[in-house]
Amino acid sequence: MVKRKVAALEKVDADLVNLQYKIRRDPKSYAQEFYDQWLAYDAQRQIFIASPTTASTDDVTKFHDLVDLVAHVADLYPDLTAAYPDHLKELLNQHHAILSPELREKVVGSLTLLRRKDVIDSTSLLTTLFPILISTPSKTLRTLLYGKIISDLRESNSKSINHRLNRTIQTVLHNLVTSDRTSTKGMWATRITRELWRRQIWTDAKPCDVMKEACLSDNEKVVVGGVRFFLGGDKEREEMEDEGSDEEFDIKRAKHQSVINKKTKKRQKAYEKAIDKVKKQERKKSAPHPLNFSALHLIHDPQGFAELLFQKHLQNTKCKFSLDNKLLVLQLVTRLVGLHKLTIISLYSWFVRYLTPKQPQVTSFLASLAQATHDLVPPDAIEPLMVKIANEFVSEASASEVAAAGINAIREVAIRQPLCMTETLLQDLVLYQRSKDKGVVMAAKGLQSLYREVYPELLQKKYRGKEATMGLRSGEVKLRKFGEEEAGGIDGIELLEEWKLEQKKRKVAEAMASGVEKKEGEEDDEDGFNSDEWEVGSSESDESEDGWINMSDDEDDEPATKRPRTEAEAAAYVDGQEKTAEAIRVSTLAQTSILTPADLLKLQELRREAQVDRVLNPSRVSKRKKELILRHIDEGVTADDIELPAMLGKKSTKEERVALAKDGKPGRDEHKSTQAIKRSKKEAEGKSTTNKEKARKKNFLMTVGKARAKNKKSLIDRGKTLKMHIARSKQGGRRRNRDGG
Amino acid sequence: MGSSNRKKKEKKKDFQKAKLKVGKAKAKAANFTDTSFKAKSIVVNQQTLVTDATDLLEQFKQNLSLAINAKPDNQRRDALSYIYNQLSAKPPNNPVGTAGLLTKLLPLLSDSASSVRANLLKLFRVLPPSEVSPHVEKILMYIRGGMTHLSNDVRNDTLNVMEWLLDVAGDETVSCPGGWLKTLNSFSSMLGWNPSVTSAISNQGWTATSASKTTLGTRKGPESHARQIQLLAKFIQIGFQRETPATYDPRAYWDNIYRLPATANPFAYLNLFGTPRDEDSEMYPNRMSRMRVFDAKWRSAIVTGMDGAKKEGGLVGRAAASLDRALKGEVKVKANNSEPEQ
Repeated sequence: MVKRKVAALEKVDADLVNLQYKIRRDPKSYAQEFYDQWLAYDAQRQIFIASPTTASTDDVTKFHDLVDLVAHVADLYPDLTAAYPDHLKELLNQHHAILSPELREKVVGSLTLLRRKDVIDSTSLLTTLFPILISTPSKTLRTLLYGKIISDLRESNSKSINHRLNRTIQTVLHNLVTSDRTSTKGMWATRITRELWRRQIWTDAKPCDVMKEACLSDNEKVVVGGVRFFLGGDKEREEMEDEGSDEEFDIKRAKHQSVINKKTKKRQKAYEKAIDKVKKQERKKSAPHPLNFSALHLIHDPQGFAELLFQKHLQNTKCKFSLDNKLLVLQLVTRLVGLHKLTIISLYSWFVRYLTPKQPQVTSFLASLAQATHDLVPPDAIEPLMVKIANEFVSEASASEVAAAGINAIREVAIRQPLCMTETLLQDLVLYQRSKDKGVVMAAKGLQSLYREVYPELLQKKYRGKEATMGLRSGEVKLRKFGEEEAGGIDGIELLEEWKLEQKKRKVAEAMASGVEKKEGEEDDEDGFNSDEWEVGSSESDESEDGWINMSDDEDDEPATKRPRTEAEAAAYVDGQEKTAEAIRVSTLAQTSILTPADLLKLQELRREAQVDRVLNPSRVSKRKKELILRHIDEGVTADDIELPAMLGKKSTKEERVALAKDGKPGRDEHKSTQAIKRSKKEAEGKSTTNKEKARKKNFLMTVGKARAKNKKSLIDRGKTLKMHIARSKQGGRRRNRDGG
Repeated sequence: MGSSNRKKKEKKKDFQKAKLKVGKAKAKAANFTDTSFKAKSIVVNQQTLVTDATDLLEQFKQNLSLAINAKPDNQRRDALSYIYNQLSAKPPNNPVGTAGLLTKLLPLLSDSASSVRANLLKLFRVLPPSEVSPHVEKILMYIRGGMTHLSNDVRNDTLNVMEWLLDVAGDETVSCPGGWLKTLNSFSSMLGWNPSVTSAISNQGWTATSASKTTLGTRKGPESHARQIQLLAKFIQIGFQRETPATYDPRAYWDNIYRLPATANPFAYLNLFGTPRDEDSEMYPNRMSRMRVFDAKWRSAIVTGMDGAKKEGGLVGRAAASLDRALKGEVKVKANNSEPEQ
């Protein structure tokens, strides 16, 4: 092949890159050359600015190259290039709409490069890029700028949080959203905030405030952006975190590979890098978990916000949002109401209009209603809604799905505010457990079991069940009045106490066994345990020889108020007594002793154990309680929760079953064995074959000699080989070079 | 043995006929071309080969576009010489006008082919001077770009264009916005006499570095150096030339009020619509202002450089002497000026 002769000038032309390389190696000696190019850049810039629209392509490429060169070496000549960042900013600000895409990209890239070289600071870069992001009509430029803005914010927050920069940008975003509420420009504020929230770069209240303002905007898109953030932003953040920790690295494998593969510098480096990564991951795991509050909790003045949101987008008849978006806003409002226990009375009457089976997406409305209910909502406000749902949805004539959804919605509301139900309505609804449809039956039974626990008086006697009846008689099941709060203590403190007691007993037993008698006071000091508590336990342990305490003995000391009549009642009575006794003891432990950090750690551990236990042994806890345990308070009610019982007992179609079976299996377009599919997949990925496969493919004639020799081996040789084989397998199964095997 | 067998099989494979199977798609031929794609646009690489365009205007325009866009330099050169012929014909034929021609052709100043650049200069020389003078500012921008170009050949050819411009519109060259200081800056950078570079570097370390005279990769002979100094001398000479005092015209006053101005941009010095200018890109319309700025910013640097060049002797020394004369002439003139004042 004939080499194309490159003209001398062409070589020189291409040499801006070469010049850049030389300048960077020796900036002092090449200052003159750089200054020449700086002047050339200046001349080209003026040519360009004189007529940016009509500049020839030749001029533009020349300018492009010179901009590139200057950007790369600007940090070496700060005096000469002092005006350069301003030039670029001016160029971008004034001509971004007419610049050719390549030049535009180069200018943006140069600015970010200057930022990375610390020639300009983040604030000035971002305040340059941001106005262009929201004003440019070009999609590619917007994508580019968005990426650059996000990456710069990430970068400047990577080592330590740059509070000042964050504050500046958050203020800019806030102003963007609040300055013109009708424009779509707020979209960018929501996008940037959401992204940074997802990456946990912004975790404080200010971004939430920006989003709050976005929710109150007049533009539908901006509102939806803000609302979606509150509904899904935290979940997104969690998922992102999980993804980050997902990519686990198999260190054992890497070690093994470094042993069997040829040792090269590249492999060595890769290995070290992997080790570093693993170490970093481990450090991350052991680091204290960052205390990130959910966005819904960080909202300032949730009551005012929810009210405004409701009035502006839902109650307002002039608001023309689409149904989907209205539903999103409704979800947010109800979520806030449920989470913060807000009171918006007009919200419930607003619901009435939408609670008909013909309303599109009515299950979402029902779910929102359930979400908006909490125990501080006046029962009078919800009662008419319950009646309406019952009338509209639950009748013999309505479809079974509709009835099931209706009953289930009523149940979801009643879980949160049991007082909303009237006796007749409940008794009527419970009777639906005789329906033919399984979904309706399940929903009705669910409602019944709920009321057995919270308010059995409303049920007819035959539907109350054994436990509820007994509870009623013993006074254990008591209706909570409106506004009554459950007296709470420290969660799991009784577990801690139990554990402590056990520890103590074990120690005593050990001491007894070893025959060393210790004074109790000493032990007290050791444990830092409350002396009063201990005194009680120890006096008992003194009485019983082996040091075990029978816990149920306690109640015998107390004067019984009323003796149980039947066996069953007796059991219930004992249970109740035990519980009250425990409650009393809990308060004393928390009040009379100071919990040390070690205690708190143990408490956490015990709580976790208990939760696992509860999940594993469902028989011990009622269904409703289990549900409440599993569902975190931050999660809202969705339409699926309402629709679920209607799906019960429905058979899936064949297509669905086939799709389910095929899910996650390799596709096969031709008939082939699984092995063959695996092999071809491996081959396509460029992976090598195993030794076994290689052996299988080996030419027969190459192996036949060895096989024949094996047959001809003498007895001694054979013995030797066998011995070597055993030795090898003991050493780790690897054949060395020339080990005689 | 085994591998040779395999090779035999592989060789055979090329001539085996593919078996057709029932229920299988026919194998695609080796030269099969996939035509299922869709294109949004088609680029035609060949240009029209028709040369005998009857319309002179069309032909001129085609040549003009060829001169700018054609890839091979011969084509560009030929197109330029065609335009040259049209311009130098006895009634010159220029359908696009000097302004249009200049806008299109100026980027060719730093063209990679020397023949193109030579033809371009030839073409410029036949342009009517009166029509060139309004565009001096623009031409100067390109010249400044070319004077600091990486390649030495381009620099030298740009100097020729500079010479032409000084011949054609010397006064406008030195008095247009940026024409005086920026051009001086380019000249001194070209000669390596630039004080701002040395000052920018010397404060970085304590080894005194003199600005190097050699440019990257290219040899710079004494001829080109001498030529640069010569041209600088010419430039300064024109800048320091005494304006001929305008003869008294009794109607000048009324013309000024009631007649359209004869020059292109009579209020340019006010800079009404442009971006604000800094010191370098300011315009220095008269001799005194030019001298003042020169004394303040450039005299010491250029005199230092000139002294060094004088010592070299030969071509460079002679050129430096002419530069000295240009500067001295100015001194003489200055002395003349100052005498009547005293």
